[in-house]
Amino acid sequence: MVLPSNVSEADFNAVLGEFRSAVGPSWVFSSDEDVALYRDSYSINWGEPEERVASAAVAPAKVEEVQQIVRIANRYRIPLYPISTGRNLTYGGSAPNMRGSVVVDLKRMNRILEVDEKRAFALVEPGVSYFDLYNHIRERNLKLMLDVPDPGWGSPMGNSLDHGAGYTMAAFRDHFASHCGMEVVTPDGELIRTGMGAVPNADSWQDFHYGAGPTVDGLFAQSNFGIVTKMGFWLMPMPEAFLSGSVTVPRHQDLEALVGEVSYLEDSGLTGMPQYGSPVGQAAFGPGAAAMASLMQNGWPSAEAIENFVAAQKRPAWSVQLYFYGPEETVRATWQAAKRRIGKAIAGATFQDGEFLTLPIPKEKEPAQSDKPRLGIPALEVFNMVARNAGNANDPSDGHADLFVTIPRKASALFESARVLYETYKELGLPARGNPFPTPFTYYSRCFWTGTTVPTWRDPEKNARSRAIFEKVINRCAEHGWVGYRTSPAFQDLLISKYSFNNHSLLRFQEKLKDSIDPNGIISPGRYGIWPASMRKSRA
Amino acid sequence: MRPAFFLLLLVVLANSLPAQTPSETNGKAVFEKWCAPCHGAVAPKNVMFGTGALAGTSALAVKYKGKKPAVLEQRTDLAPAMIKSVVRHGLYGMPITRKTEVSDAELEDVVAYLTRNRKK
Repeated sequence: MVLPSNVSEADFNAVLGEFRSAVGPSWVFSSDEDVALYRDSYSINWGEPEERVASAAVAPAKVEEVQQIVRIANRYRIPLYPISTGRNLTYGGSAPNMRGSVVVDLKRMNRILEVDEKRAFALVEPGVSYFDLYNHIRERNLKLMLDVPDPGWGSPMGNSLDHGAGYTMAAFRDHFASHCGMEVVTPDGELIRTGMGAVPNADSWQDFHYGAGPTVDGLFAQSNFGIVTKMGFWLMPMPEAFLSGSVTVPRHQDLEALVGEVSYLEDSGLTGMPQYGSPVGQAAFGPGAAAMASLMQNGWPSAEAIENFVAAQKRPAWSVQLYFYGPEETVRATWQAAKRRIGKAIAGATFQDGEFLTLPIPKEKEPAQSDKPRLGIPALEVFNMVARNAGNANDPSDGHADLFVTIPRKASALFESARVLYETYKELGLPARGNPFPTPFTYYSRCFWTGTTVPTWRDPEKNARSRAIFEKVINRCAEHGWVGYRTSPAFQDLLISKYSFNNHSLLRFQEKLKDSIDPNGIISPGRYGIWPASMRKSRA
Repeated sequence: MRPAFFLLLLVVLANSLPAQTPSETNGKAVFEKWCAPCHGAVAPKNVMFGTGALAGTSALAVKYKGKKPAVLEQRTDLAPAMIKSVVRHGLYGMPITRKTEVSDAELEDVVAYLTRNRKK
């Protein structure tokens, strides 16, 4: 049995007894077998003393039970760690941020409290998954589209609180930005509602997110200032149609202009998430492998060598898929406008009409639909990339850890980050990684993300190698101002240490809040580097 | 009847009842909710990074190379202990499933469903 630090076994047993009284004996998990179900399946410290394992778990069914749990934890100074669906894999899963914490498993709080078709919002509890909300909307034939992340088993609440993102229009795929109103149990057991939810007789909690006075919603994302128990989300009215179109541009240097044109479309609200690609880069996984190896044999090539290489490959350097949502007349007109603008800006650009669909997709046609998240259909198909597949047939990993760092939305930054990652892997003595044809992640419309993924295992030696790569990449990227937006608990202190302007004044401010709001330090100690005063280490 | 005695009687009665028989019908429903998004019967189109392919079904297609069905619902050799172990402990990229997601009783139902055609 793992105990919370500085808590005796007798006190812990008393706490468990009080938890059982609060939620019922069936919903307190304290046997080794049951607590093991709260391990992080993708832990990069699996089986090591540093693995962040729980001491117990408690699963309330309603907000009053959450309040009781928090009050009990305060009396005994027991660290709690709330999870919603616990499926935040690669970012900790259902395991706590600090070893010995009691996981507050909110999966049983799974009510969809309201979905308003005309005002286009939903109000949900933490345990509601994207699958649940999607099915609720479809069963009632509501004309609303969800914006879903790649894995559909997560919760709208949990995903947004960890700054997750999806695929449709920018206003919806930033999941935290599209929330409207939350209910929170603060560390003293008090219940607060934000925005119009603070007005007792208001019927506009999900219509206006600010209310009046300072907005505090952001304090409850990637933090440890409370347990969110309800959250509203703005949804996109179901578009009448979906249209995709493909663009290619011939030269390596054309990416800058292409990014400019696509950004114009994005920032004008004309397209959903663009998907950049590189036909030349893609060919390196097949028929172009030998040519790419030749290009890279003497290290990072010059701009001239890259351009000559592209010309010899007789493939376009870059592509981008554009996705349009709306009435048929407007999606077709927008695609025409996109073609006109890009064609005028970039010599040699080519265009190909893509898929046209009338929405919503009939239920019976959903399973065969590719690219489900772009259509607001939750799925788990992204796990193909990490499960056993043709590329790892004999040695699939047990999980992975991701690092997406934020870089400016421009081709020059993308090229520079690709070169730095290439050099970093080289310094580590690892096989060459990357080439001059990187493609950015564009979940957030105003920036690019790039980064790396390392495998995780249930093997300490292999995990040690993955950790070494991960830490090196974090440190090297930070030298250039490229820092991640979230990461697994094992690296959160390191990540947050990079946000160090004015001697870490941002973190020091957050610590002052922590000391004031949660003096006993019971909520998620250490989450995103915010430790209670009693556990705070001196900063170098 | 005094409340305490009534409660005691209920407990005794509950303990003396036979365990509920697992339900294949409910097992199918639980499977469809929790397992089918990865292990459903949609044929894998592309076992590399296939769109439209299901991760679990694709993974088993790669693993068994046609020697066994990739679709779990078509298997006749799944043992109850193995099903329970994989659900509770995970396997490769498949994560652990908690009891607040799939209860022990629901897991027994899934076992009943997936072993309904088991060859003895």
